[in-house]
Amino acid sequence: MYKLPKSEIEEIQRKRLRQIVKYLYENSSFYRNKLRGIDIDEIRSKEDLRKIPFTTKDDIRDNYPFGLICVDFSKIVRFHASSGTTGNPTVVAYTIQDIENWSELCKRCLEIVDVNSNDVVQIAYGYGLFTGGLGFHYGAERLGAKVIPASTGNTKRQIKLMKDLGTTVICCTPSYGLYLAEVAKEEGINPKRDLKLKAGIFGAEPWSENTRRKLEENFVENAYDIYGMSELNGPGVAMECKFKNGLHIWEDHYIVEIIDPNTGEVLEPEEKGEMVVTTLTKEAMPLLRYRTRDITILNDDPCDCGLNHARIMRILGRTDDMLKIRGVCVFPSQIEEIIMKTNGLSPHYQLVADREGVMDKLIVRVEVAEDFKTDRLTDLVNIQNKLEEELKDALGINAVIELVEPKKIPRSEGKAQRIVDLRKIRGLL
Amino acid sequence: MKQISVFLENRPGRLANLLKILKENNIKVFAMGIAEAGNYGIVRLILDNPDRAIEVLRNMNMAVNKSEVIIVSIELLPEVSKVLGEAGINIDYAYTMDGRKVVLKVSDEIKASEVLRNLGMEFIV
Ligand SMILES: [Zn+2]
Repeated sequence: MYKLPKSEIEEIQRKRLRQIVKYLYENSSFYRNKLRGIDIDEIRSKEDLRKIPFTTKDDIRDNYPFGLICVDFSKIVRFHASSGTTGNPTVVAYTIQDIENWSELCKRCLEIVDVNSNDVVQIAYGYGLFTGGLGFHYGAERLGAKVIPASTGNTKRQIKLMKDLGTTVICCTPSYGLYLAEVAKEEGINPKRDLKLKAGIFGAEPWSENTRRKLEENFVENAYDIYGMSELNGPGVAMECKFKNGLHIWEDHYIVEIIDPNTGEVLEPEEKGEMVVTTLTKEAMPLLRYRTRDITILNDDPCDCGLNHARIMRILGRTDDMLKIRGVCVFPSQIEEIIMKTNGLSPHYQLVADREGVMDKLIVRVEVAEDFKTDRLTDLVNIQNKLEEELKDALGINAVIELVEPKKIPRSEGKAQRIVDLRKIRGLL
Repeated sequence: MKQISVFLENRPGRLANLLKILKENNIKVFAMGIAEAGNYGIVRLILDNPDRAIEVLRNMNMAVNKSEVIIVSIELLPEVSKVLGEAGINIDYAYTMDGRKVVLKVSDEIKASEVLRNLGMEFIV
């Protein structure tokens, strides 16, 4: 059903886009307002979408709780919510058809990494307002797999269940996956030898290739990345295939654009920017050009697995954490990965943006490791030069590296304060 | 001879702070050399109790390292550097100790000790 040629996917996209815009115009006062002055008959392709303003998380919060719903209240069968740190939570409503589509997409995600009806799937995502638990539950059940709705917590029992019921697929956050592996070892269980975990499906937080290596060395045969958010149904929006080189986004249900988060301009494929998603099949709360605040790169090249749905790269970070230096977007996660690979340094660092004359300047302050193994200045200078070079390669900008003494970078609640933008403080932006 | 090296930021007061900690812990400084590169530097020290110094300084969250050096008298330095050079041993850095001695960090201190011993030269390891 979803293994379609590119041309057919694009045809479905165009058809569904026309339908959803018309549907929203007719059923949503919020979108009728947004679409004011736009001839909706002219919205026929992905390119035409650019005429429509963005929808933001604030739009959902400001219209809390029912303002974006465009079906009769009797048709709503579910609410999910993601918590905000301040103000109203982000509430999302579902119709029966929404749950049906969401389940289908979650099933696809499992299917493309060879999960089938013989598998025992343990779901260690939270069941409740959070969409993680139920999304995977529906997908796995639909495949005919054996579901263990373990939810989160009670780690020792999770491990016992894995062992006794012969779990073959674990679904949880990557950090909980690493923790499960650790606790298993403490319990005298070597997951790679004593458990049968052929796959782990890890989502709900950004993770790195480094983490994949750790998970595959200590926990599961294959670690896969999955992407989603409650505003877009939940998990199952995009999923890695067996080639582990980007996450296929289900383009018959979603249209993805990548924009410059500062200007709103749509970027070319291979350019890094904020992912903006238009939902094509949602009923209760469809969204046009929803700003996810997640930073990624879109890749529309054919994939070796044969799927023609475009891929997004791993989430690089959130727009909230982004620094713009001389027009280049810089994310703490990119710099962190490079620092972690460099011997003699601690993972504590701080990015300081400043301006020298008219030029932006990026200073990367890194603590040397407490047990740094050198008395020779040249070794430190080499570390510094290597870091400078690698940052130049990865980010395309010249950063100034400042090595600082251990514990000198201010911590708040145990976490280092990552970004200091002196340009803002000095009113230069 | 054990030398300890401490990573310090190149800012006013950092060296004073280091010496204060050593003094408060009754650790005597016999020799000191500083090398700096931009915003940081390394302070190398010969102390009466290097192991305790490492413990004390690590407790203060300082980046500390231990290494082996040899010490020769300043009069012998021209001769010592010549024979080490001939033996293919590099002197990475050096600093003076109470005006009459020199602390040498060499590329291979075991080989260096052997060469100097064979030539009957006086040195401290
Ligand atoms: Zn693929």
